[in-house]
Amino acid sequence: MVPLLKRLGLNTYNVDKKPHIEVNTDICINCKDKPCTLSCPAGTYEALPDGRIAVHYERCLECGGALVICPFGAIKFRFPEGGISYRYG
Amino acid sequence: MSFDADVIIVGGGLSGLSAGITAVREGLNVILLERGDYSGAKNVSGGRMYIHALKKLIPDALEKAPLERPITKETFEIFCGNRKITFSFEEKDKKNSFSVLRAKFDRWLASEAENLGLLISYSTLVLNAYREGGGITLETNRGTLKAPLIIDASGVTSVVFRMLGLRKFTPDKWMLGVKEIIKADVNLPENEGEVRTIVGEIKGVKGGGFVYTNKDTLSVGMAVTFDSLPKSEFPAKDLVEAFKERIEIEGEILEYSAHAIPYYGFKNLPPLYDKNLIAAGDSAGFLINDGFTIRGMDLAIGSGMIAGLASKKIVESRNFSNTEIYYEMLKDSFVLKHLELAYNRFELINSPSTFSTYPEILCNVLSDMFTVEENRDTLINDVIYRLKEKGIPLSQVVRDLWKAVK
Ligand SMILES: Cc1cc2nc3c(=O)[nH]c(=O)nc-3n(C[C@H](O)[C@H](O)[C@H](O)COP(=O)(O)OP(=O)(O)OC[C@H]3O[C@@H](n4cnc5c(N)ncnc54)[C@H](O)[C@@H]3O)c2cc1C
Ligand code: SF4
Repeated sequence: MVPLLKRLGLNTYNVDKKPHIEVNTDICINCKDKPCTLSCPAGTYEALPDGRIAVHYERCLECGGALVICPFGAIKFRFPEGGISYRYG
Repeated sequence: MSFDADVIIVGGGLSGLSAGITAVREGLNVILLERGDYSGAKNVSGGRMYIHALKKLIPDALEKAPLERPITKETFEIFCGNRKITFSFEEKDKKNSFSVLRAKFDRWLASEAENLGLLISYSTLVLNAYREGGGITLETNRGTLKAPLIIDASGVTSVVFRMLGLRKFTPDKWMLGVKEIIKADVNLPENEGEVRTIVGEIKGVKGGGFVYTNKDTLSVGMAVTFDSLPKSEFPAKDLVEAFKERIEIEGEILEYSAHAIPYYGFKNLPPLYDKNLIAAGDSAGFLINDGFTIRGMDLAIGSGMIAGLASKKIVESRNFSNTEIYYEMLKDSFVLKHLELAYNRFELINSPSTFSTYPEILCNVLSDMFTVEENRDTLINDVIYRLKEKGIPLSQVVRDLWKAVK
C-alpha cells in the first residue's frame, strides 16, 4: 500500500491559513467509535491516546463527507478559499 | 432593489456550465461563480460519460471535446471470497459513452461557455446566502452579489439550498467516491476502451469498485455509502489501495482524489426548487446508481440545460416564485424519466441481500455446478437448497428478478 501522505503529496494544495474545519474535541472524548477517523479519505481526523482528536485540515480532499460523518455534530466544515486543485479529476 | 444579473449560477461544473451556456444563448444576463481556480479543479468522477446530453448542448462536441476513449467493452466481476464470476460484453465502434477526466473536460466546457459570452468568476467562494428584497443575496470572498433567480449547481453539498435551510444530509444518502489515476500502457486501439465494474471485493462496504480505461492512464476507485464506511474492512483512506491490490492493478499513481456522490433515488429526492431558486445536477440529487453504472454527468448536463431554459421563462414571467416551471420541464425530460425508471433497481441494490447474499448464492451454485463428485443433484434442486440455506424463499427471488428488469 502506498502511504496516504505520499498519495496526498501528489495533489496541488493551496492551504488556507485558517483551518476550514473545526472540531469540538470535548464531544469527541465521549465518542467511542470515532467514525470520522474511518470515514475520511484524507485521514484528516486522528484519534489521540487521550481520547481527543487531532485535525489535519491541510490534508482535506474537500469531498464533503465532513458534513455527514460525525453522528454528534462535532465537526464544523466550510469549503476552504484555496484548497485542492486536481490535474485529472 | 437593483440586481447584479438576471440569474446567478453557483458552481462551474457540468450542470452550472450547461445552465450558463443555455441561459446566455437565451439572451439572459448571467454570472457564474466557481470556487476553483478553473472549472474542474475541484471535480471528480469515475468517469464514464454518456454523451447524448453533451451532443445536444454542443452539437460538434465529438470532434472538439477532450474525451478519452469510447467505451466498447463492459466487464462485470462479482467476488465472493476466493471465487469470482466475470462476464464481458463487447461492441466495437460504439460511441455512446466515453471515459473522461474532469479537470480537462470541465475546463474545456468552461472555455466554450466563455466563448459564447458567459461571465465566469473563478476563485469565488459562496460563503452565505439569504433572501432580501425579492431576491437572494450571496456573500462571497470577493464581495456580495444579488439576483432574483439563483441556479444552485454547486454539486452534492448544494450550498445555496443548504444555507437557506432546505437540505438535511445523512450518511445513508451519500456515497464516498475515492479514486486514483494510474499511469498505464493501454494496449488498445484508440477507438476502444473498457469499463470494469467490481462488486463484493471489500467486505463491509455497500457499493462497488470501477476501473476505466483512459488514453494512457487508468481511473481506479470505489463508490460506497458513507454509513457503511465505519464497518468496512479498510478505512476510507486505504480503500482504493486495498482494492487495487485485490484486483491486482499496479503502476505509478498520478493522483489521489475523493468526492461525495448523492444517493437518494427518485422517490427520496430533496426539494428541487423554491422561491427564487432551482437546483441542477448533483445539487438536486440527480444521480442514477443501478448497480451496473453510475450516471450523474449526463443528468447534470441535461438538468443544467433545462435550468437555463426554465430561467428564461421565469425571467420573462417576472414572477420569481414561479420556479415550478422548472420542475414541470424536468418531468417532461429524460432526467426525471430515467431516474424514475431506475428506481426499482435502486431499491433492489439497497436491500441487504443484493450485495452480500445473492452473489454468495450464485457463487455456491456455480461452484457446485463445476464440481463433479459421486453425489450430484439437479441444478434447480441445488438452487433451491442454496436459497433455503440463506432463508430466502423462491418467491422473493422471482420478485427481485422482476424488479431488476422492470
Ligand atoms: C468517484 C466518482 C465516480 C463517479 N462516476 C461517474 C461516472 O462514471 N459517470 C457519471 O456520469 N457520473 C459519475 N459520477 C457522478 C458525477 O461526477 C456527478 O454527478 C457530476 O459531477 C455532477 O455535476 P455537477 O455539475 O452537478 O456538480 P460538480 O461536478 O460537483 O460541480 C459543482 C461545482 O460547484 C463548485 N462549488 C461548490 N461549492 C461552491 C461554493 N460554495 N462556491 C462556489 N462554487 C462552488 C465546485 O467547485 C464545482 O465546480 C461519479 C462521481 C464520483 C465522485
Ligand atoms: S471533506 Fe472529506 S476529505 Fe475533507 S475532512 Fe471531510 S471527510 Fe475528510
